[in-house]
Amino acid sequence: MRPDASKKLAAATPKKGTNPAVVGAVIAVVVIVGVVVAILIGNSSKSGSASPSSGNPVPVGVIGGTGGGIVANAATAKPNAPTIDLYEDFQCPDCGKLEKAMGPQISSLANAGQIKLVVHMLSFLDGNLKNDSSTRSANAAACAADAGKFLQYHAAVFAGQPTTEGAGYTDVQLTGFANTAGITGGALTTWQKCTSSGQHAQYVTDVQTAGEKAGVFGTPTVKLNGKDITSTLSTPESLVAAVTAATK
Amino acid sequence: MRLDGGGRRADLIGLLARLILGVVLIVAGALKVTSPASSALAVRAFQILPYDFAGYVGYALPVVEIVVGLLLVAGLFTRVAAVVGGLLMVAFLIGIISAWKRGLSIDCGCFGGGGTIRAAQTQYGKDVLRDAGLAVCAVWLVARPSTAYSLNHRLFG
Repeated sequence: MRPDASKKLAAATPKKGTNPAVVGAVIAVVVIVGVVVAILIGNSSKSGSASPSSGNPVPVGVIGGTGGGIVANAATAKPNAPTIDLYEDFQCPDCGKLEKAMGPQISSLANAGQIKLVVHMLSFLDGNLKNDSSTRSANAAACAADAGKFLQYHAAVFAGQPTTEGAGYTDVQLTGFANTAGITGGALTTWQKCTSSGQHAQYVTDVQTAGEKAGVFGTPTVKLNGKDITSTLSTPESLVAAVTAATK
Repeated sequence: MRLDGGGRRADLIGLLARLILGVVLIVAGALKVTSPASSALAVRAFQILPYDFAGYVGYALPVVEIVVGLLLVAGLFTRVAAVVGGLLMVAFLIGIISAWKRGLSIDCGCFGGGGTIRAAQTQYGKDVLRDAGLAVCAVWLVARPSTAYSLNHRLFG
């Protein structure tokens, strides 16, 4: 009697017995767990990492709700002045270029009250650059707003922007900007506390969310009375002309 | 394993389709999976889905892309993976063409990045061609999921 070959055959192809349903179920579970974990991680990275310890979480000068921009020249803006909404990320090189080219003109229009300047400090580049410098510098500038030195601090940050995108800002640099902005004495102590505790970190997150909900997905974005005029701004004169045309 | 020449050739075309679609999905997913916030912003920039839901899509998409890509490269559950991959391409095409038609100036964020860019930097035509090509790969594999060197063959015969 010849030996039965079927056993040998079965042993030669042991993987034939693998059950597709089991493998499929394992893969399905992996996908579901992966998606759920990704959403949980994503949601946790969305809210500010630093929790406000004390004090008002929304800085001085904010209009338009908790995620609104900071009015940089509330004291000087004339009632009939058109509104310039400026959306910037302190780590954005193109914002640095815009500030270099037009910052002085924007400041002088703001100081003369010819525009109402509203600055929205975005922080989405933290995600791209995998650091937290946009949030930290925006928080520091919001603390400067509490000290009444927002525009000065804002200018100091852009003047000190690193030449390499992604290099970020150290705490020492942020403090240096406060000195440049003229925050001194007791105000500096308050600013220091506000900055190191991340008092306005949640506000910064809210501004980013509000910006996206307003359709702003890149920086710099400049709006004049709500209309995006970023692509039309070539020179400081083009800005003045647009502002003049919008002034009634 | 087919013995006739035509079937073998089709198996090899299937292998190529699997590798092209699979590798592109893996690369696209891997470039985004470590930056969930950027991925969410890229999806929101299309301004199609509601804010929160767009965020969930942005977080989940890289994971789905990587898993589907791995299945395709391995040749495991090829038809199911190709159906999902093909549906992703259709969704991407709808998003990109819609953004193009609405005059948005955004980077599709397909391989990381995303958000608003200068109008001159947009490359909707190129994105559409690429995704249409990948969709063709998916259609082939849905129609003819049997391919050369697939794990499906080895595991399940």
